[in-house]
Amino acid sequence: MTAALWQYFLGGVVDGAIFALVAAGFVLIYQVTGIINLAQGEFVMIGGMTAAALTTGGMPVVGAAAIAVVVAATAGGLTYLLAIRPARGGTALTLLFITLGVDVALRGLALFVWGTNPYSLPPFSAGNAIVVFGGALPPQALWVLGTDVLVFAALYLFFRHTRMGTAVRAAVANPPIASTFGIPLRTFAFGSFVVAAAIGGLGGVVITPIPGVQYDAGLTYGLAGFVSAVLGGIDSLPGALLGGFTLGIVEHVAAGLLSPGWDQGIGFFILLLVLVVRPQGLLGRAARRA
Amino acid sequence: MRRLSTAYAPVAAVIVAVIAVLVWFLPSYYTGLLTLIGIYALVTIGLNLFMGYAGQVSLGQAAFVGIGAYTSAVLAVKLHLTPWLGAVAGAVAAALVAFALSFIVLRLRENLLALATLALGIVINVVFNEWDFIGGSSGFKGIPGFALGSFVFDQRAYAILAWVLVGVGIWFAGNVVQSTYGRALIAVSAGELGAQALGVNSEGLRRQAFVLSAVYAGIAGAVYASSFTYIDPTSFGFLLSVNFVLMSVIGGLRSLWGAVIGAAIVVALGQILQTVIPLVLPGARGDFQSFFLGVILVAMLILMPRGLTSRFASDGAA
Repeated sequence: MTAALWQYFLGGVVDGAIFALVAAGFVLIYQVTGIINLAQGEFVMIGGMTAAALTTGGMPVVGAAAIAVVVAATAGGLTYLLAIRPARGGTALTLLFITLGVDVALRGLALFVWGTNPYSLPPFSAGNAIVVFGGALPPQALWVLGTDVLVFAALYLFFRHTRMGTAVRAAVANPPIASTFGIPLRTFAFGSFVVAAAIGGLGGVVITPIPGVQYDAGLTYGLAGFVSAVLGGIDSLPGALLGGFTLGIVEHVAAGLLSPGWDQGIGFFILLLVLVVRPQGLLGRAARRA
Repeated sequence: MRRLSTAYAPVAAVIVAVIAVLVWFLPSYYTGLLTLIGIYALVTIGLNLFMGYAGQVSLGQAAFVGIGAYTSAVLAVKLHLTPWLGAVAGAVAAALVAFALSFIVLRLRENLLALATLALGIVINVVFNEWDFIGGSSGFKGIPGFALGSFVFDQRAYAILAWVLVGVGIWFAGNVVQSTYGRALIAVSAGELGAQALGVNSEGLRRQAFVLSAVYAGIAGAVYASSFTYIDPTSFGFLLSVNFVLMSVIGGLRSLWGAVIGAAIVVALGQILQTVIPLVLPGARGDFQSFFLGVILVAMLILMPRGLTSRFASDGAA
């Protein structure tokens, strides 16, 4: 029993690692633009699909991975330029519905380009499962966890130790005043979409060797990612990390104990609880207004 | 509400009459589509009361359609209850669930309300999927049809039933939006604090509009279950909720006729795209249509955020 629980826990850690990356994308875009981007999960799918399709076509994994991240980032940038920017001045709900439309459109496009077949990607490093206190972890899990470390460390360094990161924080804190100091709000909004999509795409590349990927995989990643983001606090990057791992572990353990079909239900039940009990999330600050 | 207004009644009656004649000439495939449009229109009318007039948001409306469908189907199959009562029971069940959940989700607003209703829709769908008593993931087959005396409903009768319900639904919603109640809803959407300052009980109103939208969805679900005789959890998933938003946005959130137009356009567009895409792009599968539906949703929100009907009418003022 304990051994099974521990194994569920380890599986949850791997899920949590990818959820945290998607959640980081949500937080970045929400912080900079105030938009909840429901299309976030599609960037994970695009990253995974592009890498898997190119590798299947014979390209070395490193090159395929690099192209996949660029493709995802381009999709993010185009999302901003074609769908979000023309609607500026729209209400929060208009913008939310727009991201919903983008989500549906990207999934349809993926269906057109790649069809309904599942794609897979070989693990980046060979070797047997790593045994951790009696539980097994696929070697690929280390790549996913390592990506988490890299991405969150890079974000931390950027926001805390660079001039531009400070400028972005100023833009988040008070857009009008930041604007009068010459901080380019729109460029930052564009940047937030590109970076969030690149992070999602990178996550898609490193996670795909474990579960595989198909055209409709983005919905699951996106939903889990924003539950994580809300759980941790949608205005907090450390919250994205905490929320991602919490959700991954709770979902996996609960689904293991109940039945696999319940995992998403449990995730969303947690979301409802959090929204009611602590709408600002575990690490978020209280909402700016009611 | 002193006296019932009949403002929407004449047009609704004409539409029902036209449909009742049309179904005798249309091939059965198109009659089926008409039924589907009617069912979706009914849901969207309810959704527009909640989203358009009261200014709230629901990304989980398909769940209430599912609750109506499952309630009616279970009662009909397991207790041999007539679908007429099943539809009433479906509406009541959807209303009760909406009422209970309103204490949780309606504490939230805008973005967070959208996420909460989305979550609620998915949780309810997981329950459909995992609850073996109601068929689990394999769904529910052999749902009995509506009947009047010894006449068991056929395709035509379902189309007429669906559109009679749309007519009654529009007439009722028209009365709601033209009453003081409807003006209070619009006041809530314009600004909750201001509405409260004018003596509007915004919390109660939002709850009532939410429950009312669930009633519309529940009835539509019961008709759906009986006319298709088969339901499963995938019929009421997140994508259907997205489709309702699309219908609502295309027709115009704050318009009752817009709900009907939106439902008709989305269903028709789906059919057209399914036929045209393979002709133009031979490699593309029919379900590539979701790409266009997504693009249309985005384009509508950018170019005409108030929907197609905003050009013509000012239903219930704004």
